[in-house]
Amino acid sequence: MNLTSTNRRRFIRGLGACLALPALESFLPRSLAAQTAGARAIATTSSGAPLRMAFLYFPNGAIQDKWTPTGSGREFAFGQTLAPLEALKQRVQVISGLDHRNAEAGPDGAGDHARANGTFLTGVRVKKTAGSDIFAGVSVDQIAAQHIGQTTRFASLELSCDPHRKSGGCDSGYSCAYESNLAWRSPTSPLSPESNPRLVFERLFGSGAPGQRAASLAQRREQQRSILDFVIDDAKSVQKELTHRDKDKLEEYLTGVREIEQRIVTAERLSKFPDPKMATPDGIPSAYDDYIRLMFQMMALAFETDSTRVASLLLAHDGSNRVFPEIGISEGHHSLSHHRDDPDMIRKVEQIDRFYVSQLAEFLALLDSKKDADGQSILHNSMIVYGCGNSDGNRHTHTNLPVVLAGNGGGRLNAGQYLKASDAPMCNLYLSMLDQMGVPSLDRFGDSTGRLSGI
Amino acid sequence: MRFTMISRLRPIHSRSTGAFALVSGLACSLAWADPRADYEKEILPILEERCFDCHGDGAKKGSVSFDTFDSTEALLAKSDLWVHVLKNIRSGTMPPPKEPRLTAGEISKLQDWIKRGALKLDPSNPDPGRVTLRRLNRVEYRNTIEDLMGIDFRTDEEFPADDTGYGFDTIGDVLSVSPLLLEKYMQAAEAIVAKAVPLQSQVIREKRIGADAFRGQGSNGNNWETRVSLYDPADLSGKVTIKQAGTYRLILNGSVNGSFAYDPGQAKATWTVDGKQVFQEDLAWRDYRKVDPSIEVKWAPGEYPLRLTLQPLLGKDKKPEEKPGDGPPNVEFRFAGYTLQGPLEPGFATHPPNYDRFFTRDQVPTEPAEKQAYTKEILRRFATRAFRRPVDERTVDRLATLAAESMNLPGGTFEKGIARAMSAVLASPRFLFRMEDTLPETDPGKHPLLDEYALASRLSYFLWSTMPDRTLLELAERGELRKNLHAQVQRMLDDKRSDDLVSNFAGQWLQTRDVESVSIDARIVQARDAGQESEMRKRFERRQQLNQQIDEAEKAHDEARATALRNELAEMRRQFGVRRIEFSGELRTAMRREAELWFKHLLRDDKSVLDLIEADETFLNETLAEHYGIPGVRGGEMRLVKLPPDSLRGGILTMGTVLAVTSNSTRTSPVKRGLFILDNLLGTPPPPPPPNIPSLEVSSKGHDGRDLSLRDALALHREKPMCASCHDRMDPLGLAFENFNAMGLWRDKEAGMPIPSVAGKLITGESFNDVRELKHLLVTSRREDYYRCLTEKLMTYAIGRGPQPCDIQTVDEIVGRLEQSGGKFSVLLLGIIDSPAFQKRHRETP
Repeated sequence: MNLTSTNRRRFIRGLGACLALPALESFLPRSLAAQTAGARAIATTSSGAPLRMAFLYFPNGAIQDKWTPTGSGREFAFGQTLAPLEALKQRVQVISGLDHRNAEAGPDGAGDHARANGTFLTGVRVKKTAGSDIFAGVSVDQIAAQHIGQTTRFASLELSCDPHRKSGGCDSGYSCAYESNLAWRSPTSPLSPESNPRLVFERLFGSGAPGQRAASLAQRREQQRSILDFVIDDAKSVQKELTHRDKDKLEEYLTGVREIEQRIVTAERLSKFPDPKMATPDGIPSAYDDYIRLMFQMMALAFETDSTRVASLLLAHDGSNRVFPEIGISEGHHSLSHHRDDPDMIRKVEQIDRFYVSQLAEFLALLDSKKDADGQSILHNSMIVYGCGNSDGNRHTHTNLPVVLAGNGGGRLNAGQYLKASDAPMCNLYLSMLDQMGVPSLDRFGDSTGRLSGI
Repeated sequence: MRFTMISRLRPIHSRSTGAFALVSGLACSLAWADPRADYEKEILPILEERCFDCHGDGAKKGSVSFDTFDSTEALLAKSDLWVHVLKNIRSGTMPPPKEPRLTAGEISKLQDWIKRGALKLDPSNPDPGRVTLRRLNRVEYRNTIEDLMGIDFRTDEEFPADDTGYGFDTIGDVLSVSPLLLEKYMQAAEAIVAKAVPLQSQVIREKRIGADAFRGQGSNGNNWETRVSLYDPADLSGKVTIKQAGTYRLILNGSVNGSFAYDPGQAKATWTVDGKQVFQEDLAWRDYRKVDPSIEVKWAPGEYPLRLTLQPLLGKDKKPEEKPGDGPPNVEFRFAGYTLQGPLEPGFATHPPNYDRFFTRDQVPTEPAEKQAYTKEILRRFATRAFRRPVDERTVDRLATLAAESMNLPGGTFEKGIARAMSAVLASPRFLFRMEDTLPETDPGKHPLLDEYALASRLSYFLWSTMPDRTLLELAERGELRKNLHAQVQRMLDDKRSDDLVSNFAGQWLQTRDVESVSIDARIVQARDAGQESEMRKRFERRQQLNQQIDEAEKAHDEARATALRNELAEMRRQFGVRRIEFSGELRTAMRREAELWFKHLLRDDKSVLDLIEADETFLNETLAEHYGIPGVRGGEMRLVKLPPDSLRGGILTMGTVLAVTSNSTRTSPVKRGLFILDNLLGTPPPPPPPNIPSLEVSSKGHDGRDLSLRDALALHREKPMCASCHDRMDPLGLAFENFNAMGLWRDKEAGMPIPSVAGKLITGESFNDVRELKHLLVTSRREDYYRCLTEKLMTYAIGRGPQPCDIQTVDEIVGRLEQSGGKFSVLLLGIIDSPAFQKRHRETP
């Protein structure tokens, strides 16, 4: 790295600050929903503001002793990796002792990265297949989306900062679908994430310059509505003649069409559309940290404008072998994660772990700087899981996963603590979060054994 | 021909010599009438003698045993076990190297029985296997839109990446339609139609003439645009040629641009048309200001002069100095010729571009019934093309209704209505999915043939990655495609569109799609070869540290310290930073092109697929030739080059692209390279590593804690029996390429140490001394494995599903024919195209 590139980086940083989010309070629900006595309102805090949930995935586990805080409960100190979160200490909780046993090899042999990724939000043992019959489970975000999706313009938002696909196969006989998707609408339908910030923005707010976007959205709706009847009829008539998997393919199509139909109906109810007073992003920035920052901004915008209350972001797929010239690391992350106790390699992995946490810290700070409808910050009214389905990338273990739960859940979460669970399924945490979201009480999710108490 | 040439060049290594036993499965010498009895009489004795040491009598190596089933029936029903056995005995993987080999007779007997007896393959009614309905992938969608609509829609930017299965992005099961993708399809339909379908039937004729038609001071030769600084004079002359008398509009195409607002540069611009001054103005800095004066003139046929002059109003001494870091300031007039519109009189108007692609008549009828008939005519024609098969009248009626609704909206026009209906066609599942019908087949036990339209689409998406063209559809309509199949395949391969087969099939099979993006750190790779990796890393870290400290010093306003640190950094740069080593984009592109062009060359000229592996020529340009150390190639254009007799290049394995995509970012990976050969050329991938065992290749400490070379580290690794069984297969293959670094550059040293001999041995016993001999083994003694592997890969790509047991018969037949023909490409392609899997549709037996 030389001086010029340092300068360039500083310049881009400055630009990031300029891009700080415009004030959009006016688009939040104007009258706060009164909490219904007894039943918990859907995706709403006790003060009536929107409650959001997000899931952020980083790859290849973390070096445990630098990740794990010291102390416990409210008396704890971050380790080196989580230190960037120091300023937000009262807004986050570190949870240890959560497991994804279904990501372990069991009868399926190799493929820990595909499983770590595929199990992370589904909690199930994904079927080992190179393609003919992928099968996972409905992911936690989608369970929430299916219950609360009608509240907002988008039931959920799936994002990724990992747009490139390698040719050839993926991890050890697993279909690439398991590691390129976090969200699964059904056990056979992964939800492909959007990886281009420009397209995320245009999808949320319309295309064109500020001021013209609502019109572009309206025009798009009009066009879509006019052809919906035709394509639905067409799909149904075609579907009748099909069998087996072919029929399912048409069902995937029809599901998508119905979702668009539903979105048009929801949109028609709104009189006014959010239109951030910022230029549409250009596309994918070449520097990875700029890319992540921009994607996080898109997620923050979506929350701030209450366009959705459920989101997921794949920072990089598990097994990612990305290099980090930003912090002077030219070996691939995955290669390094198999460090075999080589101190030099461990140190580099620690730097990468911290790089990702720094991006998280920036995102959380951004959410914390934004005021929600009830005067609290957006972060206060959120539940954000930051974690990985691998805990030790060197040995591929799936117990004691690295997990941070950020946000106060509208005041219902005990943020500001280090919670030591012991051998609890990750799905127990998810089940508790679904309760908070107001999803009618589920008995089980994935391999859950109960609720996670103390969060 | 090919064989004689090779034997002339390398007499000892002729591919036709060497003991190659053709173990063909074609001959059905024994009738396996009663699989169970035959098993006990013919097969069990072979297994007992050859296999039971490890897989019977209580032994269960690799969880395989033949005698722990409840009954012989239960054993025979384990089709995946038998597929496995077949694969392992054919590739020589089993029995393991230490054990005696099976005799040719035993292999033949086992093969034959497994196919007919255990797997019950029926040659008289071959099962085509079930294929899941396929949607167009990103590449196919883009190509199809280009052919259908005449525009380029960038699906690589607009659509999410397609998931792959079995290494390819053409697999129906994995090509899912997520709600996000559906939303994109709906938007794309609208955007594409808006861009492609003209909304007016008549427009004024228009042509554009560039600055290259002008001569004089300030001319930029044959460039469409010329840029003249406002500090320089210009005098450009041209002409306008009129053939048809009438009124014309002539518009100047110019703009003023500059880098900095403070630049005071000014010039007087004068534009004269046919001796008449149309425009005169003092131009100064205004960012991207258009200068486009127009004039309407009545002209008789003839030529009329045009002139543009620029007169600077400020001397060059007023030009601002260059500020360090900002680049030179400039302010200029950009001249891009003119646009001529006309004649403007009614009657001279013409159809806009692309009009005739969609609209069939000159005028839209005014009479309602006739208008409706025309609407249907257009939409029937369009939907038939878009759906790649005739469209039913009910659909045409519905589309016409949709169009009429839109025509009747306020501001609606005939063309707008048509466009709306067309966007519905592009959003329809019949456009997005490849719907296939079959011919009637009365025998319910038989698998029916695909109809000719489905066949046309299978062909065009296989060979071109796009929709069938007019010829194919016309043949299908007349029911004559199947009759003319081979002639059509030949025609399609001669067509430029078959480049897509190369970039999509070879691009994924050989992973050439990845070479332009694979991250390889050229500096570390080179420093490592030279044995200076750790010094370089230290320097690198010191630089980083310095940068950080400079930042801190600046923040603390400690100028003295900052200057000292900057000096140290400058000194480091002076000492070590001069030579910049890069793995440049240009070089990477040349590598990708080399593999693609070579593949294409063999395909188009119907050469042998063996030449993919062993060849004495390749495609190079200057950049790549220099990288390979091959003299005498000049210029950027890729061309076929005869390699020097001692060259190790030639064939995909020593092409830069394969060497790079099988490397890590800082060094080679013999394991990945070995795996690549097993996986993609021999079709005998080792099982994945056991769970929770990280790839041990990174371990580079010996028993005594010293750093080991990669080769020694791997050798240590193979001492462990659990690792050995697979690494004995991968490592020798990969290590044969150790003389090529991660960028595919030749080297004699690794980590500063000379590279020892790269000789090695295949698991099947054949030994080789260098990479040339290894290539030769692949096309001689392991030839059948290679043929089979390539056939399976291409079939997977073509049919859109993974290999199934029912394909074994087809693949064996193709391999047999490849053997007879010396590996001709056409034999492979036609073998797949003629196969039941390609021609028929699986029918569930009732």
